[in-house]
Formats: sequence, C-alpha cells, structure tokens
Amino acid sequence: MASRFWTQGNSDSDDDEPTDIDEPSSDTEPVDEPTNNTANRYIAGIHPDDSDDDDGQKRVVKSAKDKRFDEMASTVDQIKNAIKINDWVSLQETFDKINKQLDKVMRVIESQKIPNLYIKALVMLEDFLAQASSNKDAKKKMSPTNAKAFNSMKQKLKKNNKQYEDLIIKFRETPQSEEEKFEDDEDSDQYGSDDDEIIEPDQLKKPEPVSDSETSELGNDRPGDDDDAPWDQKLRKKDRLLEKMFMKKPSEITWDTVNNKFKEILEARGRKGTGRFEQVEQFTFLTKVAKTPAQKLQILFSVVSAQFDVNPGLSGHMPINVWKKCVQNMLVILDILVQHPNIKVDDSVELDENESKKGDDYDGPIHVWGNLVAFLEKIDAEFFKSLQCIDPHTREYVERLRDEPLFVVLAQNVQEYLESIGDFKASSKVALKRVELIYYKPHEVYEATRKLAELTVDGDNGEEVSEESKGFVDTRIIAPFVVTPELVARKPTFPENSRTLMDVLVSLIYKYGDERTKARAMLCDIYHHALLDEFAVARDLLLMSHLQENVHHMDISTQILFNRAMSQLGLCAFRVGLVSEAHGCLSELYSGGRVKELLAQGVSQNRYHEKTPEQERLERRRQMPYHMHINLELLESVHLTSAMLLEVPNMAANVHDAKRKIISKNFRRLLEVSEKQTFTGPPETVRDHVMAATRVLINGDFQKAFDIIASLEVWKFVKNRDTVLEMLKDKIKEEALRTYLFTFSSSYDSLSVDQLTNFFDLSLPRAHSIVSRMMINEELHASWDQPTGCIIFRNVELSRVQALAFQLTEKLSILAESNERASEARLGGGGLDLPPRRRDGQDYAAAAAGGGGGTSSGGRWQDLSYSQTRQGSGRAGYGGRALSFNQAGGSGGYSRGRGMGGGGYQNSSRTQGGSALRGPHGDVSTRMVSLRGVRA
Amino acid sequence: MAEYDLTPRIAPNLDRHLVFPLLEFLQERQLYNDNHILKAKIDLLNNTNMVDYAMDIHKTLYQTEDVPQDMIERRADVVARLKSLEDAAAPLVAFLQNASAVQELKADKHYNLQLLNDKYQIGPAQIEALYQYGKFQFECGNYSGAADYLYQYRALCTNSERSLSALWGKLAAEVLMQNWDIALEELNRLKEMIDSKNFSSPMNQVHSRIWLMHWSLFIFFNHDNGRTLIIDLFNQDKYLNAIQTGAPHLLRYLATAFIVNKRKRPQFKDFLKVIQQEQHSFKDPITEFLACVYVNYDFDGAQKKMRECEEVILNDPFLGKRVEESNFSTVPLRDEFLENARLFIFETYCRIHERIDMGVLAEKLNLNYEEAERWIVNLIRGSKLDAKIDSQTGTVIMEHNHPNVYEQLIEHTKALNSRTYKLVTQILEHAQAPAAH
Repeated sequence: MASRFWTQGNSDSDDDEPTDIDEPSSDTEPVDEPTNNTANRYIAGIHPDDSDDDDGQKRVVKSAKDKRFDEMASTVDQIKNAIKINDWVSLQETFDKINKQLDKVMRVIESQKIPNLYIKALVMLEDFLAQASSNKDAKKKMSPTNAKAFNSMKQKLKKNNKQYEDLIIKFRETPQSEEEKFEDDEDSDQYGSDDDEIIEPDQLKKPEPVSDSETSELGNDRPGDDDDAPWDQKLRKKDRLLEKMFMKKPSEITWDTVNNKFKEILEARGRKGTGRFEQVEQFTFLTKVAKTPAQKLQILFSVVSAQFDVNPGLSGHMPINVWKKCVQNMLVILDILVQHPNIKVDDSVELDENESKKGDDYDGPIHVWGNLVAFLEKIDAEFFKSLQCIDPHTREYVERLRDEPLFVVLAQNVQEYLESIGDFKASSKVALKRVELIYYKPHEVYEATRKLAELTVDGDNGEEVSEESKGFVDTRIIAPFVVTPELVARKPTFPENSRTLMDVLVSLIYKYGDERTKARAMLCDIYHHALLDEFAVARDLLLMSHLQENVHHMDISTQILFNRAMSQLGLCAFRVGLVSEAHGCLSELYSGGRVKELLAQGVSQNRYHEKTPEQERLERRRQMPYHMHINLELLESVHLTSAMLLEVPNMAANVHDAKRKIISKNFRRLLEVSEKQTFTGPPETVRDHVMAATRVLINGDFQKAFDIIASLEVWKFVKNRDTVLEMLKDKIKEEALRTYLFTFSSSYDSLSVDQLTNFFDLSLPRAHSIVSRMMINEELHASWDQPTGCIIFRNVELSRVQALAFQLTEKLSILAESNERASEARLGGGGLDLPPRRRDGQDYAAAAAGGGGGTSSGGRWQDLSYSQTRQGSGRAGYGGRALSFNQAGGSGGYSRGRGMGGGGYQNSSRTQGGSALRGPHGDVSTRMVSLRGVRA
Repeated sequence: MAEYDLTPRIAPNLDRHLVFPLLEFLQERQLYNDNHILKAKIDLLNNTNMVDYAMDIHKTLYQTEDVPQDMIERRADVVARLKSLEDAAAPLVAFLQNASAVQELKADKHYNLQLLNDKYQIGPAQIEALYQYGKFQFECGNYSGAADYLYQYRALCTNSERSLSALWGKLAAEVLMQNWDIALEELNRLKEMIDSKNFSSPMNQVHSRIWLMHWSLFIFFNHDNGRTLIIDLFNQDKYLNAIQTGAPHLLRYLATAFIVNKRKRPQFKDFLKVIQQEQHSFKDPITEFLACVYVNYDFDGAQKKMRECEEVILNDPFLGKRVEESNFSTVPLRDEFLENARLFIFETYCRIHERIDMGVLAEKLNLNYEEAERWIVNLIRGSKLDAKIDSQTGTVIMEHNHPNVYEQLIEHTKALNSRTYKLVTQILEHAQAPAAH
C-alpha cells in the first residue's frame, strides 16, 4: 500500500508533468503530496521572494523553521521506508523521533496549528497498522522483536492519536482539496524559476529510458515483495526521497541543512539497525548538495570512512565495487584539496564545527578533519586483504590484480599532494606503500603492469564513467553545488625502469621516513636489487643497514619481509654463482622446517605443537597474496643444491671426524635418512633429486649428478636458466674434482693433471687453479711437479692414535683458555695477557713450521706465506636469521657494515668482522662471533 | 691507458689548487689532448685569484696576445680586494712581525687575546681579517704567505670551525710548497681533529675523511716513510670504511702500498678480503694482480696483470713520480713494485711446487733465463728460499719442510705449560693479597 505513494512520488520527481498529479489514480496517493506542499507552503509564506532570485548556486540562509520542517520531512521519509519493509522496530524509533520533532516545530512556529506533515504521518501509520493487524499471516511471520515492537507501537499510536483525533479526521476527509489548493502555486514556484537550473541539467544527463525502466521497476514493487527487494533498490528509493526533499527546493538547501543532516547521519553511525550501505549512500548524496568545498570535503571524508565500515569483520575484505568507489572518492578529495589550497586536512586538533561554513571566497586557511595517509593505508590494506581472500586460481583474482593501477594512481596523487604541502613525513609513508607494490615485481611483470596501467586507465575511464552513471544515476539528478573538476591525474605514470622508480621512492623514504618505514623500504630495496641480480649492492645494503641485528625487535610483518628479502638474496647469490653465499642466506630459513610459515606463504602444520585458533587466525592474516610468493620448490632446490656443493667435499675431507665440521645440519640429516632407506626408487621430490645427485657426486660422477639436478622442473623458473645451469655444471665439476682428490689422494703417489682434466672435463688452468688452492689451504698435502705436470702427493695421513692425540691437545688448549677466562672474569679483566686464541688446526701447522721447523729459511717462507682460508667459508655464517629463531647465527665474515654514501640510511658505522681471520671450517653456526664494532 | 686514469675521480675530492699538480702530470704524460688540459686549467683558475696565471694559459691556448676583458677586470678586482684585506689585517701582521712583541704571547689563548686587545687594540675583527687575508693569499697562489698567516691565525682563533678550515688551508699550502714533513704534521693534526670532532652528521665525517685521504696521497708518496704511513692511515677501520663507502678508487694506492711494503703481512690478508668484496665497485690491474696471485692462483694472469700494472703506475700522478738522476729519470716506485710483485708470484708459486722448470719460471717472472737463474741463486744465498738448482735438467727443486707429527704435537702443548703456570701464579697472588690485609 504505502509503496504506492512511493511509486507515484518517484514518478513525480523524476520526469513528470503536473498532469500526472492532476489525475490521481488511487485514493491514497494524494496523501503523499501534501507533505511536500505543506512544507513548501510554509516556506513560500516565509520567503516570498526566494523563488525569484535563487538560482541554485547562491547560498541561501534558511530559517530555523525550515530546518525543523526539513528534519520532520526526513523523519516521515524514514517512517515510509520502515513501513515498506515492515520494520516495526525502526518504526517505533522514528515515531518517537517525530514526536520530539513536533515539539520543536511547535515551539518554532509559535502557533497551535499542528503541521499537516505530522498528521499525514499519523494517518499513514494508522493505515499501516490497521492493515498489519488485519493481516494475520503477516503477523505470524514477524520475528519476535518485530512483533513486540508492533504491539507496543499499536498501543502508542492509539494513545497518541487520541490527541489529534479531529485533525486526523479532517485530514482524511479533505486530502484532495488541500492538495489541489496548493498544487498550482507550487507548480509555478517550482517549475517557473527552477526549471532551468535544476531540472534541465538532470534531464539532459539522465536519458529517458533509464528513468522509464526504473519507474516501471519501482512501479512493480508491491508491498508483498518489498522484503525480497534487493537492498540497493530500497536504498535508491530512500535516496531518492532525500533527494527529492532537497531537489524540490534547492534554493533552500543551506549549509545548516546539510550540516544537520550530516550530523544526523553521522550519529547513526555504528548504531544498531543503521544500514552501512545505506549510510554510504546518504553521505554520497550529501556530497552533491554540500554548499562549500570544505563541507563537501568533510562529507567526503565521512563517505570514505563509512565505506570502510561496510565490512566490519577483520577476516573479510571490503566489497570490490565499494573499494573502487572509495578510491574514486579519495581522488575527488584530492581534487578539492588541489583546487582549494587553503583547505588543510588535519586530524590532530578538535575543530570548530563551523569551519566548513567558510565558502569558496574565504581566503584564510580552513581546517577539515581527516587523515589522508591513514585512509590510503586502509585502502591498501583492503586491497591486500581482498587478494588474500580471493582464490588465486580464479579469474576473479586476476581481475582484482588489474585494479592495482587504480591504487597506484591514488597513492601517487596523495604523495604529490603531501609533498606540495610539505608534509614529507607522511609522503614517505605513502611512498612506502608504493614501494611495496613494486618491489617484488621482476622486470617483465613491471613492464606488464606499466602497459596495463596505460591501457586500462584509458579504457577504464570510460568504463568508470559509465559505471558511475549506472550506479549513481539518481545521485546525479541534481548537479552538485560544489563542482569539482578533475584536477589530479587519473592515470599512473611509471618510469621505464622499475629501478628508477624504486630509487626515487626509496631515497625519499630514507630522507624523511621514520624507523619502521625506513627499515621496510630498505628491505624492499634489498629484495628488488636481488631480483635484478645485483647481489653486491643488495648485500651491501643489508650489511650497512644492520637490519640483521635489529630485525628481531620489529613487528612480524617486517620480519616476514626480512625473510623474503633474505631468500631472494639467496636465490640471487645462486644465480650469480656464489654458492656459499646462497647457502648462508638460506640455511637458517630451512633449519627449522617452517619455511612456509617464515615466508607467510601458507600455514605449516606442526606435529608437536598445536596452534590455538587465535594463533592460526593471526597467521592467516599475515599471509602473502599468491602473486607475491617466492617459489618454494625453487628455493628448496637452491638451498639443497648449494648445501650439496659445500657439504660433499667437506664430508670427503673429514672422513675421520665427521662430527666436527658440519656445514649444513639440515642436509646431513636428510642424507642420513635417505641412506637408511633400504630401497631407493627413482627421485620424485626436490629432496630425492638432490640426494640422488649427492650419492653419485660422492663417487665422483659429476655428469650424472648434474643430469639429476638439471632434470628438476623448477629450474624453468630461473630467469637465465641456461647460464645458471652452466654455472651449476661448472660448480659440480669443481666439487667433484675436490671430492675425488680428498677421497683418493691417499691412493696415489702422483697424478697427472691431464688425467684430471679428462676425468672432470675441466680446462687446464681451471684444474690447476683448483688444485693449487687446495694445496695452499693445506687441504691437500701435495705439490706440483711443474716439468711433468703432475701432482705429487705426500701422504701424511695421520694414524688413528695421532689423530686422537691432536684432538686431545686441541681440547687441552680449549681447557686452558676457559680456565684463563674464568680467572679473568673472577680477578677482573686485564690481569692476564691472553695469547691470541688459535682458531683452527691449520694455524698449528704454520706455527709448527715456523717455530719447530728448525731451519730458519723454511720458517720464513711459511711465515711469509699467506694461509688463505678457503674462499667463502669464512663468511658462511651469513646470518640469515629467520624470525623467531634464537640461534646464535654468526653474522660471519660478512659482518662488515658500511656507511652509506648517497642515501645515508644509517649512521655510517663499520664493524670489522672479528671472524674475518677465522679458519676454514670454524664451526660457524655454534660460535657467536664477537664483533669488535667500531662506531664511526 | 686513459681508462685507468683516476684523475676524474680524485679531483672532486681535492682543493682546486691541488688539482694543478695532477694536470701538470697529465700534460707531461700526454694522455690527453694538450688543449683539453689547458682548458681544464683555465676552468680551474676561474674561481681562484691567480688571474695572471690564467692569462698566460689563455695566451698559450689560443695563441694570441689578447686577453679577455673579464680577466682584466677580474685582475683589477683581485688587486683591490687584496689591498683592502691587507689593510684590514695590517695591525695584526705588524704585531706578528715584531719579534719582541710576539715574545709576550703565552700558551694561554685567552690571555693572548686579552693582551692584544688591551695593548695593541687588536680585536676579533683584525683576527678575522687575518684569516681572510691568509685565505686570499692562498687563492692568489702565495702559499708560503698563506701558510704563515693561517698558522698564526690558528694560534689566536677561538672558533673551532674556523680553526679547522684554517688547518685545511695550511695543509694545502704546505703540500703545494712540498714541505712534506710539515705537511705530515698538519695531516696528523687534522686527522685527530676529524676523529675527535662531533660532526653534525656522520656523512660529513666520512666526507672529511675521504678528503683527508685524498690530500694525504701527495704526502705519502713523497715522504720517505710514506708507504708505511699510508697503510697505517688507510687501513684503519674508520678509514677503510670511508674508502669502501665513498672512494673505492683509493684501494689502488693502498694495494700498491701493501705490495711494496713487505712488513705489513697480517693486515694484508684482511685487505685481500676487502679487495674481493669491492670487486664490483672498483677494479684495476693492481687489485686484479693481487686477486690473481692470492685468490685464483692464476699465475699467467698475474704475469699479464703485472705488465699492465707497470703502465698504470707510470701514468698515475702519485705512483709514477719521477726521480731525475744525472741525465736519466727513473720511477723508483715502479721498480720496487715490480720487484715485489715478482716476489709475490714466485713465493706463492714455490709453495705449491716441488720442481719448477727454470725456463718457465723465467717467463713467469718477466726475466730472461740468465737473470732468473741469478735471481734465484741470490734468493737461495740470502736463505730466503729453501731450494736447490738442478742445472742438468734446468729445474729448481724445492725442499719442502714438513714438520713431523710429533713436533707438531709438542708445539701444540708447549705453550700450555707456561700458560697454566702463569695462571696459577696469578691466582695465588690474588689469594694472598686479601689474606695480607
């Protein structure tokens, strides 16, 4: 029943001629009209000349009376709405409200006459109540709360209506006449003067068919199917009502009206029963009628935050279309801010309520509450969340990814704006958001994004507009009072090269950002450098930032970022052929078997430790979206392969005391497991492959080992696959040669280098270089016979007793040293002049040669010679500390922090690694390296 | 060979005046077009007050007798300014030239200032004028005058910033006058100030260090003891850090110093690591040579690099310093470098070989057979090398000394005894000390 008003009302406001009204089709219809008329009549009475000079643009000062009436009118609208959806609870509320408003109105107009508007509402309610009571079925269907509200409403209305009995009766008798009486002047009022300003543009903008279809659509709305109607349709109606209210008298819309309405909606926020979408729509409508740019801005901010409210839970994400609108709103906000440089956005001070009253022409600064950066971060978080939630293997995910340019352009604009007002601290935060969108993209992906941004935004703009015209068709009916031209760019600009962009953003952050922002930017920077195969740069950045030491105190998402950067650095090291570095970066990540968790790329199950649901939820929230993942299989292959390359010759060299020098515990364990198997099938997993390769490599069959490793599928994900495999083959050959020499040196007296080159398919200089290095490092007790090109082995294989004796002496010296330390601690430092600790067996030999060798000449040679540690092993403790590991990972040979030149990330301080001189296989992972840090 | 020329990288870290010697050297070596160098000189001079010099160069460059108008104007300008500054500083200068008056000054700065103010009416304004005058003198190329004035200014000034820049000026003046001993003193003084001063930002400090190191190159490669001192300075953590951060090209000089300086072995190992690490940011034949010998054991490569090193040294303004002896000139550093580099190669080579063919050895050492044999014989005689020459087969046979296992064991445990003994004494002492109380 009630909705029939509606239908009619709509067609009125939409495209109607007065004739429509002249021929009332149903008996209830006219009831609608008086409302507006009454209101208008009053207004007309008070401002007789308004209609002449107002042109919709000028600000109109409204009287308190008008305001009251407006309020009441909107309440009546709410009642109608509630009636339509059979919502007694809100009906009850609005009923109370209208009673209160009535008091106010009475006070204002200082007369005894009850406004027709109110009476009309009562009539409406009465009708609806009667209808509802008679309809038993509907009554039964009501929810308990609704039914309760219905009953109490019935009581209240009865009581209330008694007071106005006469008026109601009178009203019921003469709705028609009253209607008609005012119809004429209203018409002239409205169309005579306002036509040009308001109606025309609408009609231009809004194509006829749309309105037609909508009218018919709405016309079909019968009370019966009201409940089933989609919410947005209802909203639209509701909105339209609001709009109608404003539209009928655009001249009367004052700053106060809007402000009051604004506050009213704002108050409803968060309250029970307030539709979130509805609120957004209400606010959106208000932006159209805002009188000053500042007010529009203020309302827009509320729109955005209302849009954030749409999705209340932490787990879900904001609907995508809302997200898009939100971005558009933010862009409009920026437009306003750019257009009116005197408007300042601030969230720190309590602001004067009337601040936004100051209009266009006001010169001084206007403060508006809001926080651009917080909004931007929220939008980013929502984008991130949506990607987390959407199944990555669907089209939806790809579609969602395509929205990235939207955000990029927003971030870019916000950053530009913040920079233009000189707020670099905030702009560095925005820059970080942008960095976080780029850093993980390899060049190809970046190119694609760039192209997409160029393409889609063109297409998108059109699409956007059409979408908007669909979505906001009704809100566009009146031209916004404050017209905001699109000032800021709607299209992101990407430089040719992702590196250039990174450099610009990152140096801005280093200059102005706070600690966390800087640390994150640094990690992204490292990641990105590693992605581009610039290992040295990435490594230097990592070391000079001292992030390894500090990362444990940072928040978890930064730690995850750190782990990601470390793994990427490891992959990078592997690609450029630095095997031990790669292993150093990755080993700690793998030492706990929780890689997935550490990289936030999936939840790992732990057998021994059940997670609480709370923990699990937290973990889920930290997950990386799929497109940012690092390929775990590749990571594992790289880790195990480099472990194999290091560990196989190491095992061969230390057959006797295998316990002591373990480079990769993880690898050893896997090897043990695989050796225990009674039957080994063909390799399937990455692990199987590497183990199979290890077995053949131990026997010196480099070709087969390489074949097995190369048969892994994952290598296809490596950028320059062929060169990497070439490098890998080379490394395998080298390690095979070393393993061979370690294993079989005792069986030979001399060995021709030609034979070696044949065995291992190595070039002569390469083989020579490898063997020479082994000799210098005393790994191989042999020397070259240059004229014949042979290696002459000196078998100084220790007997078991001798080996044990050496171990004993070593332990003795450790004992002596710990004694000294103990006494030093007791007696106070400096008491003892400690001899420098001998770190490895190798020094013994040199010292023995120097001191005990007897002949001075021999000693001098030895002394002069530089016993070089095996390259790279000193830096094995790369310190890839993964979060939540408390292992004292040595920040080994690389512990050389560097002060930074251009960027100046941190105080330049350099710590010379105390471990730089450490012996070849110093047990890196167990011993803490005391850094003698030298602060600059 | 211009590709290894470091002048473009060094020059930005020098004072304008200090660049002249470098340009002179380049002109001499004919690495670049003469006219380019002359133009560069004029550019340099444009911001100094050595207008006469600029005019001369202009004449030679364009082969004319005309001089641009602005130079003439500038000259008049400079002369006028010199005059006014001279006047301003005159009272103080007069005082300082009066030996008996200067006697009155004491070590106490405040007392001196008070004295000057009371007795001679010389206030801060005059002292400031002295600084300006000294600076102006320097810019005019009158280094000795500048050095004197700045020295005296430093004795009187209270502003530490000013004092620091006066010290820089003094150092530059001494370097340009080639007073290496005094320059070295100033250098050390400056170094202390830089290390102890609180800089507004660490960046500034690093920059000061980089400057200091660049300026010191003049001194170290001219001073007798410079090659040891350069290692002492550059190899300090703070300075090495600064090199790696801002001026990796300085590694060349440090590397050279290490090669010609045999005594610095322990630090050498660390330094090799630095070189490896910095491979990506700086690399020249000298550092590559070290990498070949000590990292890759690529002796052929090392030999090739050695030849390139020679070129580099000859074309480097600091390393390639010539000494004129009667009528032929030598580059002492080159000879020394080559000798040591050869020794480096040989040393490493011998360590891993049992038997070496003399011919091959001679080739590797860039010597002919006879020379090589003589060289080796000398080494053996000087008991630097434990080897014998087998002249029948033409080989050198190394006599490697491999310590007996038992000797090694004894060596290990030897120190334990004394250490334990020492420990015991200490504990006893400690125990007795409280007892005595």
